[in-house]
Amino acid sequence: MRNLTLTLLLAAMLTGCGYNDFQTLDEQSQAAWSEVQNQYQRRADLVPNLVATVKGEAKFEQDTLTQVIEARARATSITVTPETLNDPQAFERFQQAQAQLGGALSRLLAVSEAYPDLKSNQSFRDLRVQLEGTENRITVARNRYIQTVQAYNVKARSFPTNITARVFGYAPKPAFTATGAAASGQAPTVDFGNTAPAPQPAR
Amino acid sequence: MTFVSFFFGSRLGRGAGWPWLAALLLALCFMPSAQAQKLQPIPAPSMHVTDNTNTFDARQKSALEARLVNFEQATGSQVGILMIQTTAPEDIAAYANRVGNTWKIGRRAIGDGLVIIVAKRDRKVRIEVAKALEGAIPDLAAKEVIDEALTPAFRAGDYVGGLTAALDRLEARIRAEALPSPSPPGPDAAQGSIDGDGAQPTHSPLGFQWFDLAVFLFVAVPVLGGLLRRLLGRRIGAVLAAVLVGGLAFLFTWSVVAAGVATVLAWGLSMLSWSGLSPRAGSRAATGGVIAGGGFGNGFGNGFGGSPRGSSGGNTGFRSGGGGDFGGGGASGDW
Repeated sequence: MRNLTLTLLLAAMLTGCGYNDFQTLDEQSQAAWSEVQNQYQRRADLVPNLVATVKGEAKFEQDTLTQVIEARARATSITVTPETLNDPQAFERFQQAQAQLGGALSRLLAVSEAYPDLKSNQSFRDLRVQLEGTENRITVARNRYIQTVQAYNVKARSFPTNITARVFGYAPKPAFTATGAAASGQAPTVDFGNTAPAPQPAR
Repeated sequence: MTFVSFFFGSRLGRGAGWPWLAALLLALCFMPSAQAQKLQPIPAPSMHVTDNTNTFDARQKSALEARLVNFEQATGSQVGILMIQTTAPEDIAAYANRVGNTWKIGRRAIGDGLVIIVAKRDRKVRIEVAKALEGAIPDLAAKEVIDEALTPAFRAGDYVGGLTAALDRLEARIRAEALPSPSPPGPDAAQGSIDGDGAQPTHSPLGFQWFDLAVFLFVAVPVLGGLLRRLLGRRIGAVLAAVLVGGLAFLFTWSVVAAGVATVLAWGLSMLSWSGLSPRAGSRAATGGVIAGGGFGNGFGNGFGGSPRGSSGGNTGFRSGGGGDFGGGGASGDW
């Protein structure tokens, strides 16, 4: 009898309850997603100022500039609401558009290294700092979203909470993939690896 | 898997093998997932100033430390300095964010923390700003501090001078922000009041309100138990009431613990209220059941719901407020 109670107790501790956890985790992942979108929006808002500043540089490569403008237009046209968040295809489109914008921006910043006037322009430098900060925030927000979705998906897929998930319609959520998209979505400073070591004084 | 262990456990109950099986299953369930990454470790924040590079001599370090202690006492905001050799393989922004969110420096309710991280061999520096201070120190301001105070001094090899100048600017900015003043009595006062406010519901990993269960039990069960007793008699009525309540609890919470507690309590309550009407031999056992049930429930409620605050204490020099939430704000620079 004591063995039975003990086993029951162990089983109980491992089982946990599912329904309320799904409520919490679902809400958390939606909040985390809002933060991701918020930061992407902030980046998109910075782009027009950046473009205007760069346009002041007369001889600037027009291709790079157009790519940024087009990528921004695409990225802002695709929004993912909490309802479409569960649609993996819409999610994938959103992710691709944002990755394109990230890539175009980091190219623009890399190209700008060749323009000394632009580099010393105070408003361009300020925009660069803000852009860099936004990229960092995007990374953090994405990581947090991935973590909440991971916690949610583990619940949604593992026994016995997957029964709860099926009964109440909590499908696994899509998360960011780390292939290509994430690599080009990183902070733009990464692209300056070849130019940065030059000004370092020898010690 | 747990159901399997339960069935095996009951069938092999008389043999010697089942505890091993249960232990194995338990070990499997609690086995931590292996992490293959080799990231730089994050030092424990035992002081405001953590120097893993031996850049400061004892006097310089204690001067910086005293300054930050004073600042924390005056304003409540926590500022940490971390000197390391390298952040590889991460870039300094990612590492700094990990440090911030591991230390969680900043007051618990306010989250006003800031970390200055210097990677000496990488020749990179970062000011990582918690969300609560992003208004006082926006990215541009942090970049300005780096460009005008830190990197010129660092280039000349004057680490203490650079950090002191940077702290002058950063502290002025934090003072200018209208943050709540520090709580005067004892370091525990602020944390205690906050724990009382909002920590309990969010900190329960079970996500289940024990209070609701108690209300449910003490209001609904006597009614149900009384009805069933009148229809079916004392023993059967109490058992049926217990089973029904336990089943309901399981349906609502999906927790065997909650269901078990509910079952025991419901049975005890049904028996107790009967024995109140006609005192008989079984009453003492029934009361015992209720008390045991209550103790069981409370024990679990407290054990699971308690806040993990103890881990932050222990050190006399510096204790993280545990409130800092670092969302990637701040700026980096190199020299």
